[in-house]
Amino acid sequence: MNIDPLKALEAKVERLKKDLKTLETRLENSQTDAAHNQLTQSNQLKDTSRKLAKTNDRVTDLAESVHRLERLLVALNRKVRAGETRKADFENWPEIEKEELAKIFHGQEAYARRKFTPQEAKDTRKAIAEYDRKAHEAIEAAESLTHLPPNAESLWRKHYKQWNAITTRVRPEVPDDDTHARDTVAKSAGNEAIKRIRQQIRARIEDAVAGDLLFPAWFENVLGPAAPPGRADDWLYTATDVVLYRLLHDVTSPADALGPAPEEEGHRKTLHDRLTNECAEYRKP
Amino acid sequence: MAADPFARLADRQQSLRTALRALQAAGPGSPDFPTLIARTNDEVEAVINARRDVEAARLTTPNRAIATATTAAALIIAVGWFDAWSLLSLLLATATAAAVLVDPAGRTPWDPRARTAAITAALVATLLTPPLNGWATLITAAGIAWWAWRTRT
Repeated sequence: MNIDPLKALEAKVERLKKDLKTLETRLENSQTDAAHNQLTQSNQLKDTSRKLAKTNDRVTDLAESVHRLERLLVALNRKVRAGETRKADFENWPEIEKEELAKIFHGQEAYARRKFTPQEAKDTRKAIAEYDRKAHEAIEAAESLTHLPPNAESLWRKHYKQWNAITTRVRPEVPDDDTHARDTVAKSAGNEAIKRIRQQIRARIEDAVAGDLLFPAWFENVLGPAAPPGRADDWLYTATDVVLYRLLHDVTSPADALGPAPEEEGHRKTLHDRLTNECAEYRKP
Repeated sequence: MAADPFARLADRQQSLRTALRALQAAGPGSPDFPTLIARTNDEVEAVINARRDVEAARLTTPNRAIATATTAAALIIAVGWFDAWSLLSLLLATATAAAVLVDPAGRTPWDPRARTAAITAALVATLLTPPLNGWATLITAAGIAWWAWRTRT
């Protein structure tokens, strides 16, 4: 420690100057480091973007070759179809008889028919009895019109009114007790016929898949060239229904599997809508 | 078309009888019952129209006579018992008489007799105008209302 305060102060200043110098050196050092880092990073960025451009070019090339491949495949498909390859026949079904189809239609009709509840049947019977009574009265009234003297005006009016009570009304349909039983029979017969026909169709489709046969154009149009992996059973189910739909509704178009959408509501429209949706599902990539 | 309305009515009634026999034979449950009802209805309409013609033939002359009488009485009363208030009744009665004179039988099935009622009411109102003054209009109005109600469609 210096005893002279001036000397002491000078020594302190000297120390501080030294500190300052050290600090300056460190600052300079870090600045240099930062500049270096920035340079490296920008170089890396340039590198990456160059690589990206290269990849892009490659993808374009690949897309072109996929397109070429696609066209080649189409051409190949045509050649295969034109050649001797065995084709699956989903058009002719000699083993399915017209009667079976008729049974299905009857079953569908039975399902669509309105059912009378016992109360409704009772009410309808009552209405019919009422109508019959009115008809009887009206006929009596008309009968009296045949021999009334012309100047008995009030009688003429009364009987004419009674007659008119019947002309504006319609006799309700008789509820048939047998309808219900017959419908039940028709429904179960239709269901059985559908089951049998579906089995036959499914067997033929499975044979075609097993034998690597070519599917008809309409079939591939809606269901794709093959079952999607892991969903073969669903696909077969839908395929069977498509073939059954064509069979039931006499669709013969070689390209359009389901034909035009039916206008009126009912079984056919429901089935058409369902099949259209399901098939679209299978064609998704 | 038979010239005599009575003969025509009898004719129509006969064919209605035939149609009714077919209707009764079929019964309400048979499938062609609605067709038979329609055919019988045509026959009934024909009978009603034939009866209207009979009525028209019977009532045309009386209706015209009453209408003429009403007009004459209204004139006499208007001159002899002149009263401004009574003129309302007399004018309405004359208007009714004019309508009946122009077409004494009408077209709808119940028209001929309804017109007789209306014109009779007009005549009574005219004759009662001296004691009742304008209030007699009510009688004519009632007659016209009856006429309108009877021939409404």
